Parts: sequence; C-alpha cells; structure tokens
Amino acid sequence: MTDSALLLLQAAADTTHAYGEFPVIGARAFIWITAEVHLMFAAFVLGVPMFAVVTEAIGIFGGDERYDRLSKEFTRLLLVAYSATAIWGAMLVFGLSTLYPRFWAYLTAIFAPSMWLYAALFFIESFTLYLYYYGWDRWKKGKAKLGHWTLGILLNVWGTTVMFIANSWLTYMMSPPRDITPTTDPTTIKLWHAIANATWMPINVHRVIANVVFGGAIVGAYASYRFLAARTDEERAHYDWMGYVGNFIAMSALIVLPFAGYWLGREIYQYDQSMGITMMGGFMSWLWVIQAFLIAVLFLTGNYYLWIGMGRIPGAERFRPYTKYLLIVLVLGAIVWGTPHTMIADSKELAAMGGSHHPFLGALGVMSAKNTAVNLMILTTFLSFLLYRRANTRPVVPWARTGTIIQGAMFAVAAAVVLFYGIRGYFVEAIVRIGFSVYQVLAVLSCIVFVTVIDILMARGAQSLGAIRWGKMPPRSQYALFILAVTFTWLMGLMGFARSGIRQYWHVWQVMQDTSKYAATPALGYASKMISLCVLIFLSLVAFVFWLGGLAEKSTFVATDEAEKGARRVGH
Amino acid sequence: MWATNAKIVGIVLGTLALYTLIANKIPQVQSEVPQTLTLGANVTPEQLVAAGEKVFNGIGGCPTCHGLGTRAPNLLTDEKGQGSIGARCGKREPGKSCKQYLYESLDQPGAYVVEGYQPIMPVMTKQLSPEQVWAVIAFLESQGGTVDVTASDIPATSPTSPGGGGAGGGASFAGGSTDPKAIIQAAGCLACHKLDGQGQVIAPDLTHVGSRRNAESIRKKILDPASSVAKGYEKLAGIMPKSFGTMMNAAQLEALVQYLAAHK
Repeated sequence: MTDSALLLLQAAADTTHAYGEFPVIGARAFIWITAEVHLMFAAFVLGVPMFAVVTEAIGIFGGDERYDRLSKEFTRLLLVAYSATAIWGAMLVFGLSTLYPRFWAYLTAIFAPSMWLYAALFFIESFTLYLYYYGWDRWKKGKAKLGHWTLGILLNVWGTTVMFIANSWLTYMMSPPRDITPTTDPTTIKLWHAIANATWMPINVHRVIANVVFGGAIVGAYASYRFLAARTDEERAHYDWMGYVGNFIAMSALIVLPFAGYWLGREIYQYDQSMGITMMGGFMSWLWVIQAFLIAVLFLTGNYYLWIGMGRIPGAERFRPYTKYLLIVLVLGAIVWGTPHTMIADSKELAAMGGSHHPFLGALGVMSAKNTAVNLMILTTFLSFLLYRRANTRPVVPWARTGTIIQGAMFAVAAAVVLFYGIRGYFVEAIVRIGFSVYQVLAVLSCIVFVTVIDILMARGAQSLGAIRWGKMPPRSQYALFILAVTFTWLMGLMGFARSGIRQYWHVWQVMQDTSKYAATPALGYASKMISLCVLIFLSLVAFVFWLGGLAEKSTFVATDEAEKGARRVGH
Repeated sequence: MWATNAKIVGIVLGTLALYTLIANKIPQVQSEVPQTLTLGANVTPEQLVAAGEKVFNGIGGCPTCHGLGTRAPNLLTDEKGQGSIGARCGKREPGKSCKQYLYESLDQPGAYVVEGYQPIMPVMTKQLSPEQVWAVIAFLESQGGTVDVTASDIPATSPTSPGGGGAGGGASFAGGSTDPKAIIQAAGCLACHKLDGQGQVIAPDLTHVGSRRNAESIRKKILDPASSVAKGYEKLAGIMPKSFGTMMNAAQLEALVQYLAAHK
C-alpha cells in the first residue's frame, strides 16, 4: 500500500459526509449516465479495432486492397470516439470522487496501482491508434505494412488489457473474495487477490465478445446511414456491402454470446446463490422478459435483413419459400423464451394465477423450454446465413448432392438433440438438467462448424448464377440495421443494470453497504428511462462523431465489381 | 436528405419509446434497503401482518424457495389440497398451535421437514430479529387462518439481534460466553449438524471434524461457508449462514474453532 493511497483513504475517512449530491438529476443518475455512456464508447473503441485489424489482414494476405481501405475507414471512426471515451471516463472519475468519496477512497485503497497502469496503458493505446491511423499511407508496402498491421494488433492488446483492468474493479464490487469482510482493512487486501475474483474472467470473456457484436452493429448503422445518403450507385454499393459485413460480424458474435453469458451466470450462482436467485427469480425476474423481447427483436431483424438481402442475389428466389418456415420457428422460439417462469408476486397475484406458476405457461417458462427455444433460434439463424451464402451459386463438385444431404442431416440431428434434452429435462432433477444445456450447445456449435466446413468445400469452383447487385436494397433494409444498432445498445444498458443491480444496496457485495438516499435499487420502469436516455446521448454523440469523420476525409467506396470480390470473402 | 434524417430519428426514438413503454407496463418491483423493524406494545394484528409481509418478501427472502413449488412447500397458495399455510399450520403437529408450529419451524427448520422436500431451510431466528420473526408468523397465520400473535409474544430485542441493522460481533452473543457448547447452542449449529450424538444429520457430522479439517480450515469454513463444501453435500451449498463471523467475537470464534479441531 502506498503512502499516497493511504493519505487519500485517510482524507476520505475524515470527510464528514460519505456522499455528495449532483444538482437536478441527483448523484446516482449522474454516475449512471457517465458510467453507461463511457462504457458504450469504450465498447465501440474496443470492438471496432478487432475487426479493423482482421479486415486489414484480409487485405494484406488476400491481396485485396479494398479491405485495407475499409479497415482504414473503420479506424477513422475511432479517432474522435477515443476522445469521447476519455472525456466520459474523466467525468465518471470526477463524479465518483466527489459524489461517492468514501466508496471511491475504498476502491483506490485496494486498486491504486492498477489505476496507474490503466492510465499509462490508455495513454499508450491512444498513441498507438494515432500511429496506426496516420501511418496508414506511409507504411503501405512490404514489411512496413506488416509493421503497420502489428500496430493494429498492439492496439487490440492495449485496449483489451485496459478493459480487463477496469473489469477487475467492477467485478470486485460484485464478488469480493469471501475472506474480505466489512471489517477488513482495504489497505491489507492483496491487489491480485482482489483482481482475480469469481466473476472477473467470465465478465472479461463476455465483454470481449459483446464488444465485437456492438462494434459490428454500430458500423452497420454507420454504413446504412451512408447508404441512405449516397449520391451514386457505386457509393451505395460500397455501403451496402459494408453494412452487410457489420451485420454479419454482429450476428455471428451474437450467436456465441449466450454461452459466455451462461458461464457468467453460473459463476454468479456458485459465488453466492442468493445473488443468483435475486438475479433470475427475485426482484429482477421481469428483466429477463424484457431481455427475451430484445433478443427476439435482434434475431427477427437480423434475419429480416438477410431475407431482404436475398432480393439482390440472383438465384435466391429458389430459397424464398423457406423463409416463412424460418419465421415461424423464430416467432415460436421468441414466444417460449419470453415466457416468464418465477416472478415476485404477492398473495393476491398468486391466488389469481392459481399457484406459483401459470397453469399452462408455467411449463414453457422453465429452462428446459427456454434453452431448447434459443438453440433452435440460433440454428434457424445459421440456416438463414447458409441460404444467403449459397443463394447465387450452384455447387459443381461431384459429391454436391451428398454434401447437401449430409448438411441437412446435421441440422436434423442437432435439432433432435436439442429437442430430446429439452424434453428430457422435465423429468430429471435440476442439477442434471443444467448439464443438459451443455449437450444442446455442443450439438448446435458442432452443426455450425461442420456444416460450414462442408459448405466451404462444396463452394470450390461453384457455378455462379449471377453477381450480387450490391446497392440494390430497399431503404427498409437499412432502417433494419438502425433498429439492430439501437436494440444492441439498449440491451447493453439493460444488462449493465442487471449486473450492477444485483448488488442491491451494497457498493461492494456484503462488504461495503450503500447508505446513501439512493441505496434502493430502482424498478425496471425507472431503469428503462435511464437506459433510453443513455442510448440517446450515445447515439447522438456517435452521429456527431460520424459527421466529423465525414468532414475529415472522403469515404473509401470503390467500384461495384470490387465490392463483389470482397463480399465473397465474408460469406459469399 | 432531411426526410431520410427525420425517418432515422423517428425510428431511433420510436424504438427507444417502445422498449421504455414495455418496461414501464410490467409490474414495477424496487429492491428496498432492509429497515430495522420496531413494533410497539400496542401493535395491532394488522400492523404485524403488514410488517410480516414486507419481511417475507424482502429481507427474509422467503419467496426464493416457498412459491417455486419445487424447493419448498407453497405457503401463500394451496399445498397438495391442504390449503395455504394459515389454514394448515394448526393441523401439522398434534398438540401444537399454529403459532407454536410456525415458530419452531423458523427456529428449528430441520424438525418439521415436509415429506418430499429437502431440509435446506436456514435457521431464520438467526437471520431475523425477534420482531421480524413474529411479524412473519403473523403474516403466515393471516394466509387462511387467524392471527393470534400479540406484542407479548415478542421478547425484548437486543442491540445485536440479527436482522436489526446492528453492527454485529457484540459481546452479548451467547451471553458473551467463550464456552464452546454455549456458542454452539446459541448459533444453532445442531439444527443441521450432529456433534457427539446430538443434533441433526442435514449437514456433515462434526463429531470427528478435527480429523478432516485443521483449525485454519474450520475457521475459514465458519467465516466463509462457501469456501469449501464437503463431498456429498454439494446440493446444500449456500445454506449455511454467512453471519457467524460477525455474530461472534474473536475469542468466541477461536474457542469454537479449537473445540471443533480437537474433535478428532
């Protein structure tokens, strides 16, 4: 423990009040807004570099310069967004240190060294970004280009490390190691002991994936705006393709995200069962109904965008009749997933319902039904991608028919496994039932991997049924991308509320109690207003950032035939 | 382009409005900070019932298991045709009034485990203050029965009563005694554990605990019950109260640890 941190702690302890107040909106709302908007910008500036560096690699190793320019356009969006991230981060720190001084002193007493490292890494990260962006045209060829790409990798390394450090602070608030009690002197807590708490790594993994989803969605929204504002067919074609890439990345990563979330939930339960029950069956139980609705919107809108996109692909009409069946599966899955199971209800409500569960819907509200529904929705979405991908090609390999039959069989087997364990789950104990979800997930993931491998092999030398007419998309498809971006952002705010809210009236779970007038955790109605406000602030600022980006440089669109070549690499 | 911009703004605002509206249409539940419950000598049955309902749904955390239909018996609704708890509590044990049965169920949950359920309930008299316990009993009686709890049932509350918002660790736990047997009695360990032929077999037998755990391990287990779970008792993980570390003072804790460690 350092002298400066001790002095800070002592200063806070000497303060007569543990809490400050912020005018008009109050201290909690101020912290809520600054933390949430900071987090949204941070997710954006961490997610976008991930696929900027991947697209640059495709450009380098695939010899397609178009990807290189796309990567540069992604990176250009980051420059101003970095400043916004830092500004909101500074506001959050000032807010915490003035409105929650005692709590802030407690955190700094434990984490001060990691906070210095955080600041240093953020500094290095920012300058790596400047080098990465401004050196783009200078280091364009040969080894210099590889060096430039290495800068992109370093940018991701710094960014991810910064996020891991910040995650340790917030996860410590959720799940402090069990040997730490209210009487533990924070200056005696070992730094690594506090960092490596029960939920730290699950949150790290969950956020890495979620950042990719989020970055993809925002880039998709950016592309859709540029598409709608485009003055030429070429420009429209380019941004149509860019929007497709953003959506592809977002939806692909979204498919994996529930599994990371499941791991996080399990760790929360293992750390403290009462916290887990508060989250899933306590006062937050209704939150999951809203979450289910949002996920349903994401799946339906994502698929809708793909189905509209098939209108610009010659040959796609042969698959069109199937979309209605896909839609039925998605809608039914969404309805099951949104069925509540256990909720806080008073005696009158329970009496009106005739028991603790609804007599009919109760059977659909259990995890067996929900896991089955979401896995079938994932399979259905993957099938949509597959049809989209194959729309303008006809495989010519001799085993094409056999391959297609095998692919169909894999889908059937995966769906059967999901259904079997879903039904079987009703007849076994909870501890056994939980294990079934692993088999369901493995069946779906195996299907996705093997079917994709077969499809890639089958696509070799495939006959083209015509070039994709990039840019020939109705405006409603682009508005769908906006809905996706808004929904992803809102969902992030909602899940942030869930993660933070399960601490209830504790700053640090069962170690440091919140004794301010804002200690009660608000109901979902109030939370939803705060989330919408944060999303609105974020999207308004992002629109401003995009506008600034547009001022700085011309767009990177290229001719349609290049767009066609590029698109083949991301799913055609 | 202005028309397009307006459409985009409309879609963004419309989507936000829809989500906000739905979130405001569902039942609104706020997680309150537990308050110290103070009941006067003239407290009425209605006041007791109202206070009990808050404890039941709040700090007591009762709906976590009672109401799911799988973990513990339904209390507020019918349970296997016997009615809600107020209607059936007086018939559960011959010679015991509803009030007695409910108090003993909260004080010694292992005593009356309903057939078909696991003995997972914690000792609620160690988690709640006497006011809170009796208020919950009044609330449960009101579910189909007659409330006969009065202020005279509620003993004087000590400043260190659990659930009362006190700092804990007070000298009055077990009367400040460092006699391990008095501490075990006060902590209610035997409601779940067996020791020297006494107590329940819900949790691991402590008669030879010293041969399985050293003093440090026992101390850690008492302070942090989730730190380790004995083999075969995984389903009961999380049941042992986490409050012993704050209820006992250091001398009491050490006396208990050494006593158990000596049970080889």
